[in-house]
Amino acid sequence: MAKDPRVTRLEDLPGPKSKEELEEMKMPYEEYCRAKFDPGNEFGKPQSLKGIRWLSTTMYIFTPHSVSNLAELGAEVIKVEMPRMGDPMRHCAPFNETYLYPLHDTRPMTGTGMGYLNANPNEYHITMDYHLDEMKEAFYSLVKMSDGLTECYRPGTFDRWKQSYRYLIEMNPRFIYVWGGGFGYGPKVFGGSYDILGQAHAGLASVTGFHETFGGHATKHSNWCIDWYSGTQITFGILAALHWRRKTGLGTMIEFSQVQAATRCLGYAAPLYGRFGIVRQRWGNWDTQLCVHGIILCGKSDYPDAKNPQDKYDARYAMVSAFQDEDFKELCAITGKNELYEKYKAHKDRVEGESQVEIYAALEEWAADKSRSEVVKILQDAGLLAEPVMNDREVYECEHYRMRGTIRWQDDPVFGDILAMGSYSSGLMEKTPRRLYWIWRPVGADNVKIYHELLGYPTKQIEEWYEKAMI
Amino acid sequence: MCDIIWCKEDVGGKPCNTVNYLDPYCFWNWEGTVNCAECGTVYYIYMIQGHMYKGPEKRPGEKPDTSPLYADKPLEGYTNYSPGVEGRTRPFQCLPRDIYLGVPDMVKFSIRGRPVRGWRPQPPDGGIAGSYPFNWDIKRLSPEVWEEYQEKLKKGEVKEW
Repeated sequence: MAKDPRVTRLEDLPGPKSKEELEEMKMPYEEYCRAKFDPGNEFGKPQSLKGIRWLSTTMYIFTPHSVSNLAELGAEVIKVEMPRMGDPMRHCAPFNETYLYPLHDTRPMTGTGMGYLNANPNEYHITMDYHLDEMKEAFYSLVKMSDGLTECYRPGTFDRWKQSYRYLIEMNPRFIYVWGGGFGYGPKVFGGSYDILGQAHAGLASVTGFHETFGGHATKHSNWCIDWYSGTQITFGILAALHWRRKTGLGTMIEFSQVQAATRCLGYAAPLYGRFGIVRQRWGNWDTQLCVHGIILCGKSDYPDAKNPQDKYDARYAMVSAFQDEDFKELCAITGKNELYEKYKAHKDRVEGESQVEIYAALEEWAADKSRSEVVKILQDAGLLAEPVMNDREVYECEHYRMRGTIRWQDDPVFGDILAMGSYSSGLMEKTPRRLYWIWRPVGADNVKIYHELLGYPTKQIEEWYEKAMI
Repeated sequence: MCDIIWCKEDVGGKPCNTVNYLDPYCFWNWEGTVNCAECGTVYYIYMIQGHMYKGPEKRPGEKPDTSPLYADKPLEGYTNYSPGVEGRTRPFQCLPRDIYLGVPDMVKFSIRGRPVRGWRPQPPDGGIAGSYPFNWDIKRLSPEVWEEYQEKLKKGEVKEW
């Protein structure tokens, strides 16, 4: 009689076969995760975008970052820079102090500033003055063997140089062309932009910072958050275009407006006005939808004897969250503010603006004689969500980051000891993790690799171009 | 200039009328005596945040602690004393007082003690057309830093974090 396919035998199934085997195979969750993601050993795993070659004719943070996401996932990215000078962002460092040397052999006293960090990792850096006719052949050769290009010039610039989308699509129909512009097409099409323009023009700065009632102003995020954010949005567009090309075999163009990128993280702001006529206001470290859910100032620093003012004076902020009714009741109990609970039992009562002013003031009054750690411990012991607002040093020393491998030391091949964080913090993946090979390269560091090994130009030709400052 | 001393000392029957300019780099928070560039009269002044809290008070017979950076006589045309006139004005050296002189510290090691390429000038190491190798040969390029690193290793100053 033929074997009945509906009959399932336990021994044929994967996994444990008995209770004893199950016990043996059990593994704590932490160990399981550590084994799966295996921080520190990413370099032996496959790369999801290996085989993709991308050109980065970009500057500053916004458009370079859209490509850096590809480079960290395995794409071979060729960064094209101005001869001898490089990306203008190389010359930008906090307080004009923190540089890594060299920039170029002809400029031994010039380095690349930390502002350039995280924007161009894992990329081959070449120099090319591509608006010269003599360099067009080399540029077109790169286009023909690449999958795409990201540029950030004003509209018409690349067209004048005969290397815009309509030219490149003719020589490579599979090409994906990205224009990371400031305002996009429209009445301000020729306007350039920076991160701060995106924060201002899209209205993000208008809802950031403390309300005037508390002595605040519209606030710019101190780092270039819109640059990073909008760059990542472009990356999603690139990945979608790569997927589309697998379906159709054709390339496409991606047009992007940096200043409008912030509207996505503004959420309901404009739709709220459209439906209810309400203009959103600044609300500082608190939340307009939840209370208690904000940052409070404690009276004492965790490090009163430290020399660093960031530790000595500013290590006093704590995040507190107790927005559910039961949590708020518990918070009022442990802080001795039971009258607040009687007054604001319901969510709809305590989420009002005037209520929040009173509630947070009472919390800060309770915390006036405590340090940040004391406040957090008291609240966490009571089962509430609380966390200190950490500074850079504390992030560095945090065991949570170290265990996950999202902050680690790496030996950069050119610049030595480097603390890597941005790359590995952008998401852990089991099979095809992000990884960092080098933070950046000196200007023109890979000229021979690309022009000679990839494009096949003889070294004599390369040296001639170099002498003429064409590369 | 954060302030001036307009000397009115009588010299030969006429007032000196010399304006001594007190530059903020030196005199912003300063106490001491300063001479007039023209007649040499010594004045005591006490400056706080650029404001002359005390003085100018004549101190005859005392030696001046310093001199003004520049002085002129606006009532007598373009007569002036440029910086660096011996015995009259202080030389201009493009530097503030010692208290404001920071010593630039080129970074050679990270906070955990390993070498990092944070100092300048870096010795040339590029190849054809500015190409760079994929290895920083610190031992060959900067042997003094390499030796210092070896000393750090021996002393156990190189940490994992």
